[in-house]
Amino acid sequence: MTSTPAIEVKNLTVGYGSNILLQNLNFTVSSGEIFVILGGSGCGKSSLLSNLNGLHQPLAGDVLIEGQNITTAVGAERQKIMTSFGMMYQQGALFGSMNLLDNVTLFMEEYTQLTQAQMQLLARCKLDLVGLLPYESYMPNEISGGMQKRAAIARAMALDPKILFLDEPSAGLDPITSADLDSTILDLSKNLGFTFVVVSHELASIYAIADKVIMLDKQTKGIIAEGDPKVLRDTSKDPRVHQFFNRIMSKEVA
Amino acid sequence: MSVSQAISPMAKASPDSPVAEWILLDSLNAKVALKGKVNVYTLAHTWTLVREKQDAWLLQSQGKNPILTFDASQVTSLDGSGFAFLIDVEEAQKTAGGQFVVTGLDPRYQPLLKEFDPIANLFPPPVVKPKRSFVVSTGMATQNFLDDAAGLITFTGHLSADLVWSLRNPARVRWGDFVNAAVQAGIAALPIVGLVAFLIGVILSFQSAIGMQQFGAISFVGPLVSLGIFRELGPLITAILLAGRSSAAFAAEIGTMTVNNEVDALVTGGLSPIRFLIVPRVLAGILVTPILTLFADIVSVFSSALTLIIYGVPMVNFYNGMVQVVAIEDVMSGLVKATLFGVVVSAVGCLRGMQTGTGAAAVGISATRAVVSSIVLIVLVDGIFAFISYKTGF
Repeated sequence: MTSTPAIEVKNLTVGYGSNILLQNLNFTVSSGEIFVILGGSGCGKSSLLSNLNGLHQPLAGDVLIEGQNITTAVGAERQKIMTSFGMMYQQGALFGSMNLLDNVTLFMEEYTQLTQAQMQLLARCKLDLVGLLPYESYMPNEISGGMQKRAAIARAMALDPKILFLDEPSAGLDPITSADLDSTILDLSKNLGFTFVVVSHELASIYAIADKVIMLDKQTKGIIAEGDPKVLRDTSKDPRVHQFFNRIMSKEVA
Repeated sequence: MSVSQAISPMAKASPDSPVAEWILLDSLNAKVALKGKVNVYTLAHTWTLVREKQDAWLLQSQGKNPILTFDASQVTSLDGSGFAFLIDVEEAQKTAGGQFVVTGLDPRYQPLLKEFDPIANLFPPPVVKPKRSFVVSTGMATQNFLDDAAGLITFTGHLSADLVWSLRNPARVRWGDFVNAAVQAGIAALPIVGLVAFLIGVILSFQSAIGMQQFGAISFVGPLVSLGIFRELGPLITAILLAGRSSAAFAAEIGTMTVNNEVDALVTGGLSPIRFLIVPRVLAGILVTPILTLFADIVSVFSSALTLIIYGVPMVNFYNGMVQVVAIEDVMSGLVKATLFGVVVSAVGCLRGMQTGTGAAAVGISATRAVVSSIVLIVLVDGIFAFISYKTGF
């Protein structure tokens, strides 16, 4: 693919004030790759994501999105970087006062010069991709949690950004919807060259989609494993990694 | 404006020639040639332009089976908007009864294009919202009002029962919540109540003094103003301030809990939300409103005395006049009324919070409704109280 990686993280320290969650992270997400961030609850996965997408300023280090440093960018430059990726939040975070179609067209209205009908068609395509086309006129509170998540993915894709951050996209979805979502993600990545950064716990989904994973750990505050998930499952000597990928209970390890 | 400026470099990044071109081969054959980087920014005006030309062409060749070729062989990259464009052109062609052929589309885009089949689903008929007639909307408004009144009555019943319960089981009342609510609604409200009461005292004295001076009755301003403050204005000012402050706060707090299913969690855990959430807050309202009212009374009367010094009424004269006219019953009457206001303000705030719908906007609506209902009910209670005072002389 292109020489510039989609995301490059250099010596990143994530935390809040004096509470450091992750230290000195270094990793690269290649363009077109499905990159999965793993780790137990509370190890800072979502915090890392909010540092990658520029929502929070990291305590130290740099995040380069397509070669541009989001940690130092300000004003119009920052705005431009921000539109180069889409973000789906764990709870969906749809705008409650708008129906699904308006949720998706909102960012188009701000950033593009398409006509209303064109934006609606584009938004319907996005909703169709996540299987929500029949629900376009529903309000977020009228649909289930899983549907809200899928609608949030459609909204994240509104401007066809090259990078999509998904925070636990398949958690709480039924197996069929989850598999459909995986196949959509694979399609978008393999055929359209989207880069995905996914936080996930769902092993089945991880094996299905991930090109590369990093596993974070609370104790070491860093990356304890990096690579292909299937290879890690079969070959990793690290007991924590082995335990995670093979779903072994804590008791059995102790 | 700044946002679009920030994005414009992106839009201009495309080469000068448009990403899509309309080529008319003959009267029944046309071609749309797509090329370069097709994305939501580069397509912006081209999309409309191509579609306009297509519509004009379709109109001319109506019923003659026109053939449109969509040539994507020059495309370097295609994203979702490119697909949407293709689908838009295809749908227009099919609706007009023409043929549509795609050539040169990179095979990697094929699976994604198939996901949108059948494309007719992407063009739903426009939804026409039925207009409600005047009679229907009046009926619905009346029904809403009646439902609301019924809800208020039911709530009053539940709340009374639970307040009685709290007297019987004082140990089981959540006093921690009570203290928090009392601090928030009471101590934190002291500065604003003090300020408003002070200014009302000043304004009232000035206004009364202007009129009374004409009759040489300046010495009666003190008694008049103090009586008004103790019996009416002190409780009213305090209650209205609390309606704006605490009632809205209670509604927002309980409303957010409702939105987050916290209230449902209480119910499914077998706990009464009224007992758990509302009783401590109403008890706090009952405690703090008379205290705040007394504080407002004192500040107001003091500011009135200060103001009247300007008109040459010494403080001691003011005091003597006030003591002659204002009896302890007047002060008590005001405080009893204030207690009722306290119940109204806190209970209505909690009720509106419990009635919150879903979503962030619902919390705002609840807070607004809490303030409006509180003020209406305060005035209503005040009116009833005035009638009772008139009849009983209290």
